Amino acid sequence: MEIDDPLTNGNTDAVMTESAPPFTPSPPVPASRSSQLTESLKLEHQLLRVPFEHYKKTIRANHRCLEKEVTAFVSGVGDLADNNRSKDVTVSRLTGLVSRLQGLKRKLEEGSNVENLQAQRCRARIDHLDSADGDNITEWNNTKLKRILVDYMLRMSYFDTASKLSETSNILDLVDIDIFREAKKVIDALKRREVASALAWCADNKTRLKKAKSKFEFQLRLQEFIELVRANSYKQAIHYARKHLAPWGATHMNDLQPVLATLAFKSTTECTKYKVLFELGQWDILVHQFKQEFCKLYGMTMEPLLNIYLQAGLSALKTPYGFEEGCTKEDPLSQESFRKLALPLPYSKQEHSKLVCYISKELMDTENPPLVFPNGYVYSTKALKEMADKNKGEVKCPRTGLVCNYTDLVKAYIS
Amino acid sequence: MELKSIKDEFDRVANKHKLSYTKTHEIVQLLSQEIHKALSLIQDTQFDHRSILLDVKKLFMERSPGTQLESAEKELNVALTKYPKVLEKQLNSEISKAYRNNVEFDTHVVNQIIANFFYRQGMFEIGDCFVAETGESECTTRQSFVEMFMILEAMKGRDLEPALNWAAANSEKLKQARSDLEMKLHSLQFLKISQGQNSQEALSYARRHLAVYADSCLSEIQKLVCSLLWDKNLEQSPYSEFLSPVMWDNAVRELTRQYCNLLGESSESPLSVTVTAGTQALPVLLKYMNVIANKKLDWQTMEQLPVAVELPGEFQFHSVFVCPVSKEQSSEDNPPMMMSCGHVLCKQTITRMSKNGAKTSFKCPYCPTDVDSTRCKQLHF
Repeated sequence: MEIDDPLTNGNTDAVMTESAPPFTPSPPVPASRSSQLTESLKLEHQLLRVPFEHYKKTIRANHRCLEKEVTAFVSGVGDLADNNRSKDVTVSRLTGLVSRLQGLKRKLEEGSNVENLQAQRCRARIDHLDSADGDNITEWNNTKLKRILVDYMLRMSYFDTASKLSETSNILDLVDIDIFREAKKVIDALKRREVASALAWCADNKTRLKKAKSKFEFQLRLQEFIELVRANSYKQAIHYARKHLAPWGATHMNDLQPVLATLAFKSTTECTKYKVLFELGQWDILVHQFKQEFCKLYGMTMEPLLNIYLQAGLSALKTPYGFEEGCTKEDPLSQESFRKLALPLPYSKQEHSKLVCYISKELMDTENPPLVFPNGYVYSTKALKEMADKNKGEVKCPRTGLVCNYTDLVKAYIS
Repeated sequence: MELKSIKDEFDRVANKHKLSYTKTHEIVQLLSQEIHKALSLIQDTQFDHRSILLDVKKLFMERSPGTQLESAEKELNVALTKYPKVLEKQLNSEISKAYRNNVEFDTHVVNQIIANFFYRQGMFEIGDCFVAETGESECTTRQSFVEMFMILEAMKGRDLEPALNWAAANSEKLKQARSDLEMKLHSLQFLKISQGQNSQEALSYARRHLAVYADSCLSEIQKLVCSLLWDKNLEQSPYSEFLSPVMWDNAVRELTRQYCNLLGESSESPLSVTVTAGTQALPVLLKYMNVIANKKLDWQTMEQLPVAVELPGEFQFHSVFVCPVSKEQSSEDNPPMMMSCGHVLCKQTITRMSKNGAKTSFKCPYCPTDVDSTRCKQLHF
């Protein structure tokens, strides 16, 4: 059952005042399992979007290629028709055109096969989301965890383990290893201070980047210019600037000017404003920018999925009790490593009391109400009844040792 | 969220793709046909090659394959543009909105957690590969999990020897944890022997190992011994349940639990527990972020989440008391106090309700009983 929240409809400004009132979901009833499942499926945008973007890109690239070839072919024929050539030359030229067309046909078919495989992958993922239901939820979640781990490993470039894990867990269709490898090539090149791969990538994705008004290509060009200046190749630098930087001048003059001015400085300059531009750290900024553009293009999050889920989960589980000595080992936060991660995160908030019996570890609710010893220690009815049955009606508090009769216990009412 | 609309939209894309391919294929076929025709005409006949070519050129200009290709692509493009919009509408495309950027996870800690996860699931090869690739130091729990899985493997093959040995070695600790693992294992061993049709041996085994549990599990022992009477056709006896694998599954589960507990680990993988909790918490947090969109929030530095995430019972590891009046969580300074009527409020609320000691009695907000503020009992959960 969906919790209908009136606060999200209409003008939120009108509803919220400066001292934001506490946000409470309307009825304090936990969402049913199926609506919870729906909510968790909604988080899977990346799963569906990434292969689709790849599929779209392939289709468009193949089409552009095809268009070019067909146009060249047609104009080749037209050319041949217009110019007066001997029969033999014509025949040989024509044969050349025929074999070119054969090549085109083959490329068309190969391209189509690749596109179909990618479409299959898109569909496999939709089917995977469809397959999640109440019965197999544990297994589905298990697969989800593995997917999230593969995503983490791909982002950290642990390709071996990622491939192994995907193969053994049978989730190759659900992960994007090849896409991350493509990104790694560009990143590695940038780390070696080479812009060629990155520029090739920009050319490949020209239309999308232009639509998003990205200036990444411009930044790559700026860096290349600076490298030329660093190497004291001034003439080359100016030539380069005329060719590659000038076209961006109209829209990005503010960025262009300081960089061009580096011509007036040596790379070892102490002038802070220009020293910064010469620093090798600029390449790291480029790497970061590439990651941003890449993730945006493919509809991926910048951060590993694992981190996103861990942050949310740790916060939701973080209680002051989790940090105490002797805290139950079932709480993930009892583990040292989880504690370290959770340290800077906010604590969870609880709106309603939830009590856990010290003896049975079960919830003490209306079906299993808490019973109070004369000294104030509380345990669940079920656990104490069991104890009483085994001990002729007597119960003993496991923490203080106080013994009393089951009938002396008082029921506590916790809402 | 409707998965159906995503499916339908993708079907549309696939259809348009097919159409576009068919059309493209036709066009290329046409070009190929015409050019082959022209070539054979020129080669095999006496017709003027120039006029043949001009004819072909005219045909191409009329048919204009370039424009045709474009129009084939156009419809597909529309579908390709629409699909991501459908995705964004149906799914949440910005799940990192709730992410705190100022919090950096230590890669080593995360890697250790992952390595531990692999070993705990029995994925030793992958765990080793991961440790090698990340350059992390050897995981301390690896050996323990290797042993655990050896015991479990043996049990799968119905060999209880390693399990019994381990249980005997840790008997004291198992008793402390009030686990019935040893009893379970001995019962299974008893059944195994009795099914080997050696009733004499089974009985002596029972005397040696099951008798000690007589006070706590008498009825179970009685059932087991009775089942001896049907040693050849247990399926038809009232004790056919002893043949089912459920008993073995339960024993496996109990052993895993106790083994992990003694290792100082939780019985469920902490990583999967946390990620599952995260899956439930994220939608709530994201919804909150959407509502608060325009307001300044110290999201990055807040001490406590501003919204409650209702997790199912299995995620509740500690008792948390929230005063129904003040909505504050109890603490050492502000413990829960039970009033004479059985209702519980936190200490500060009681103080406030009795006007800081000015009044000695007040009315319980739940039932109209008079409550003496000095006679409230502090509770310990």
